[in-house]
Amino acid sequence: MAFSGALTLTDLNDFITPSQACIKPVEQTNKPSKEEEKEPGAASTEILIDSSGAYYEVSSDPKNSASSSTGGPTQKLHQAQISLNDCLACSGCITSAESVLITLQSHTEVFNFLEENELAETSKVPVISIAPQSLASLAAALTSSSSTSSHAPVTSRQILRRLHPFLKSIGFAYVFDTNFARHIALREHIAEFLERKERDSPEAEGQLPMLASACPGWICYAEKAHSEMLPFISQTKSPQQVMGTLVKEWMAKKWDRGPDSVYHVTVMPCYDKKLEASRQDFYNDIYSTRDVDCVITTGELELMMKERGWDIDHAVPGELDDLHLEDEDPLLPELVQHSGTSSGSYLHSIIDHLRVSSPVPLSLSVKMIRNADYEEYTLVEELEDGPGKVVFKGAKCYGFRNLQNIVRKVGKERGLRTGGGAAGRLSGRAVGLRRGKKAATTADGREDKERDKRYDYVEVMACPGGCVNGGGQLKPRLPTTTSTRDEEGHERNWEESGASVDGIMQTNAKWGDKEWTKKVEEAYWRDKVRHKMPPTPPDTPPPSRLEATLDADAVADQILQGLDEEARQRWFRTSYRAVESDVVGLAVKW
Amino acid sequence: MDAELPYSLSNVADLPGHEDRAWNVAWNPVKPILASCSADKNVRIYAYTEDLRFKHLDSIPTGHAKTVRSVAWAPSGQTLATASFDANIGVWEKESEVDEAGIDQGEWECISTLEGHETECKSVAYSCNGTYLASCSRDKTVWIWEVLPDAEFETVSVLMEHSQDVKCVAWHPTEEILASASYDDTIKLYIEDPSDDWFCFTTLSGHSSTVWSIAWSPVGGYLASGSDDKTVRIWRRIAEHKWECVLVLTGHDRSVYSVSWGPGKDDKRKGKEGEHLGWLATTGGDGKVMIWEVEEPTVKEGETPSMSKPPDHRLVACLNAAHDVHDVNSVVWCPRKGYEDLLATTGDDGHTKVWKIAPSA
Repeated sequence: MAFSGALTLTDLNDFITPSQACIKPVEQTNKPSKEEEKEPGAASTEILIDSSGAYYEVSSDPKNSASSSTGGPTQKLHQAQISLNDCLACSGCITSAESVLITLQSHTEVFNFLEENELAETSKVPVISIAPQSLASLAAALTSSSSTSSHAPVTSRQILRRLHPFLKSIGFAYVFDTNFARHIALREHIAEFLERKERDSPEAEGQLPMLASACPGWICYAEKAHSEMLPFISQTKSPQQVMGTLVKEWMAKKWDRGPDSVYHVTVMPCYDKKLEASRQDFYNDIYSTRDVDCVITTGELELMMKERGWDIDHAVPGELDDLHLEDEDPLLPELVQHSGTSSGSYLHSIIDHLRVSSPVPLSLSVKMIRNADYEEYTLVEELEDGPGKVVFKGAKCYGFRNLQNIVRKVGKERGLRTGGGAAGRLSGRAVGLRRGKKAATTADGREDKERDKRYDYVEVMACPGGCVNGGGQLKPRLPTTTSTRDEEGHERNWEESGASVDGIMQTNAKWGDKEWTKKVEEAYWRDKVRHKMPPTPPDTPPPSRLEATLDADAVADQILQGLDEEARQRWFRTSYRAVESDVVGLAVKW
Repeated sequence: MDAELPYSLSNVADLPGHEDRAWNVAWNPVKPILASCSADKNVRIYAYTEDLRFKHLDSIPTGHAKTVRSVAWAPSGQTLATASFDANIGVWEKESEVDEAGIDQGEWECISTLEGHETECKSVAYSCNGTYLASCSRDKTVWIWEVLPDAEFETVSVLMEHSQDVKCVAWHPTEEILASASYDDTIKLYIEDPSDDWFCFTTLSGHSSTVWSIAWSPVGGYLASGSDDKTVRIWRRIAEHKWECVLVLTGHDRSVYSVSWGPGKDDKRKGKEGEHLGWLATTGGDGKVMIWEVEEPTVKEGETPSMSKPPDHRLVACLNAAHDVHDVNSVVWCPRKGYEDLLATTGDDGHTKVWKIAPSA
């Protein structure tokens, strides 16, 4: 199957898509020449395109026709350009336009930089950091494309080791995974949760539930469509941006370099990460540099290897060893594992922390709400005389439609008015009636306690299936023989009932394929299995957590020791702002 | 002018009151009331008696910031949904407060608002048993909401199948199949994958311009669509998940804005039921209301029955200038038993009109 990372947004389902044509007004920079007095309605110009693809405006006014063979004076036209910052500042569509992202932050951009960098007098240190979901995607692709079943499944660690020589060969000085940055992000995330919990009171609303901040699709959507959610969104930076800070601040210092003499590329499972890296918040004014200079997707990394004819199908020496061989001083621990979800274990890290630090044993129960992408997690005190009070209620919520329900639920629980305000009057009336009904129906004891406990935390991700199914991941590599019956019976049933299977089978080739996402999820946890750790243990107590991340904690402590409170905030926290709608509804009559 | 046609439409009521164009009208499926909505952001409720005297009952100043484009009653008849260009959906119920004189003084309350659409919401519809509410918008999406107790709603699906503005949504009369019609000239049909999300299982292409309106036949084996291409197409279910265009009806001089398919009511036809597919009403920019009688195709002796055969059909009534010179925006048959010969229209003149179809004298 052909390698193709560049998938178009039309392939996506249950995803936040650009909804409208870009509304950025086209600037008219061509001043009409003085003598030209055009008759109203007379078409006096035409547009020409030359061999290099540049556009020219040509006056066809007969008076001026002597000056050139094409009929009139030519004037080069500027191409309309949309920067990522335009996208961030505009509410015309709720997320980014993929084409914009591809042209400004692309793998060719990376190649170009690396080539120029080698020739440059004062070269920068090129660093690349790879997200664990990207490694899992590559591992899954490799595992399913090896024809012989005797091959052992490939792990993320093997992929990382195999990428190493390729990335070095094209000019990168350092290759990291972003797990350690995530480890710091998770520690900061827990700290922020505890701060908010402390501050939370009936008078100080807007603290809880804390909503995850790692998904840039969700952040972008919230800033544009649900500003009332912004106070709830965690201010902890995402692992990508923590990595950005570590590379440009901490490592650069170690290497005796300024932030601007390090070039930092990340490999992400998601297109919107490009947008995240472009945020003004992550721009260093003093050194005129971004914490992450360029973001490429998993698919684009694969494309880079393909363009250079590199094959990661073959094992490299020592790829199965636990210790990193290549570097004497690896700077950061490799592939730190966090049990929980493949989207970053944000919810689980909080749950684990609460259970470890609680004086009373806490029992965890998990309830599926609508599908596997929306689950509720409740921590209840285990007292001698039975279950005690509910100390924590959280949820993981992936995909656009579940996200809608979370926004509704949180808005209602916290008495917020959701949406842009158009429904102001309607909502006002609604509250009175709803309250009346509620009072009449709640009266049956313990079960209500659990039900009425509001969310403390929600791990929100815009993609169904979470980050392993990000829009920048590799496309499904499924057997091409569609006649083979799938494990899921329903597809077969459709066929038997004589249904048109077009619609169903097509989704196999599309982004968001369930079977494929499952394979990537498996690949994500494969390393863990090798290290004889339970994959996702939601109901076993987690005292081994410290053991698993002992190395990481030691390095993290070392980094944090050197930071005062102000620096810690600056390094690991960020903020959000509502993008006010300035789109004037067109006078549409229907 | 309709002399040669076997039926004619007579005006039963002319209900003015909206201060701007009247967009849509919905008959309550249980109670003798109907609701109309308008660009004036209000909903007007009318009651009618057995002898067809109509009177204005309530006005709901909806609070929507823009035009109310569509209204729909839940099958229970208790709840009314409004779709507005302010991108929101309002859900309304009347609190019953009967005073000493036995007159209901209750007010219409907005019990919920559904937000999520980014731009103008165009149409809203309840599924056959009231489990789901569907909505569509200029943002190209179709949303399915689950109707839960206590005026709660949950988003169960956001369908991004159309490439343009979605004009209309309609649920199958007995099954959980949703149809949507769009500015992209297509109709899409959706069902729920038992293990997962809703998905579009077929796209009906054929219209050469915007599809404004869709209506299922009362028994559900056919679907009618009205388009900007001035035609009405009839699609037939030829297999469980397969639909095919079997008939194109012409006769309108301008865009067809609305189609409605009622069971029909004619005592003379009794005994022929089963073959009778009902009456299809169509209207649009030409101000005409046309009524087509549709029957299952007759199979002549020796002929093999074919699913692709068009249904037998004939134009039984045609009314010109239903709202004078104005566009007619919607036409809706009354679904209540005993009143199947009534239909309501709304026009750019802001009026709601009620018509009765009867054999021509």
